[in-house]
Amino acid sequence: MSATKLERLRSADYKAPGGKLVRVRLKEEQGQIRSIRITGDFFLVPEESLGKLEKMLEDVPLREPELRLLVDRFFRGTGAQGLGVAPDDFVKAILSAKETV
Amino acid sequence: METWRLVEVEYRDNPFLNLALEEAIPRLVGEGKAPSTVRFWHNSNTIVIGCFQSAKLEVNMEACKETGTEIVRRFTGGGAVYHDSGNLNYAISLRKGHRLVPDGNLQSVFQRLSEGAVEGLRELGLKAEFQPVNDIQVDGKKVSGAAGSIRWNAVFHHGCILVNSDLNILGKVLNVPRAKLEDKHVASVQKRVTTVRDELGRDISTREVRDAMVGGIESCYGVRMESGVLMKEEVWLAEELYQTKYSRLEWNLEP
Repeated sequence: MSATKLERLRSADYKAPGGKLVRVRLKEEQGQIRSIRITGDFFLVPEESLGKLEKMLEDVPLREPELRLLVDRFFRGTGAQGLGVAPDDFVKAILSAKETV
Repeated sequence: METWRLVEVEYRDNPFLNLALEEAIPRLVGEGKAPSTVRFWHNSNTIVIGCFQSAKLEVNMEACKETGTEIVRRFTGGGAVYHDSGNLNYAISLRKGHRLVPDGNLQSVFQRLSEGAVEGLRELGLKAEFQPVNDIQVDGKKVSGAAGSIRWNAVFHHGCILVNSDLNILGKVLNVPRAKLEDKHVASVQKRVTTVRDELGRDISTREVRDAMVGGIESCYGVRMESGVLMKEEVWLAEELYQTKYSRLEWNLEP
């Protein structure tokens, strides 16, 4: 018997104060991120690092302390530089994602 | 005095190849094979989306079909812009560590490398100002947007200047998210943007703006621009990037 799927789709359009738009589309299952796509009109160098952040966010609980820890680790570890978006904006965008049908 | 190469190679009816060349030049500049370069170019009706954007979310596909507007993704971040023949594009490619942008901070790069364009627009009589994060405004309205990157051992900055573009088509083909308009306190994208023509109150060609830009860049950065040609390696790389990346749906339309 297959496990019951309790996957929910969540999305958010979060505007960083004085900055850019971060658009989040994610699949959540039992309080954890199963997969996530982050798009928007922000700047991030190196550009390829966004895919790494998305990968790192998989299976992470949708809770502020865990998300903040992981996003901070991403920026420290990759040396990525954001513009129009701060590390905290990614956290806030993800946390503000509401369930969509 | 430092000399920069001025390149005006463009493929007006092939925005995909235009964007491929946009990537090829800084790559070769970073390798030290090509000199510091400014490129001026045009696209026919095209939406150019930022590398992190979702075409599905940002673009009105139906309006694109109706107006014959192509969609292409660039390799730099930032927001979607509309190009037509009334829009002048410029791109500056420097080697990393260049005296103008020594610290490798993206906001400083945008500010410093927008100054030439600001100076050019002021020479035309506009009260142009750089507005962080990446805009040039006249009386609070955006007339130019820029994007850029620091990679491949190069510092790259490009922008588009709305000279006499069709703002009606722009308003139709771009889906500007509500959160963005609300933050800017405007009802529509047309109310937030303007053109050089509208601000000057007279007809003006992209050529005239290009000439003013050349003057602005030369005086602002203390350089002399000299018309040059592309190197064979740049053409080959642009063709390769066109084949493997910029002509492909998966690059332009996904996610």
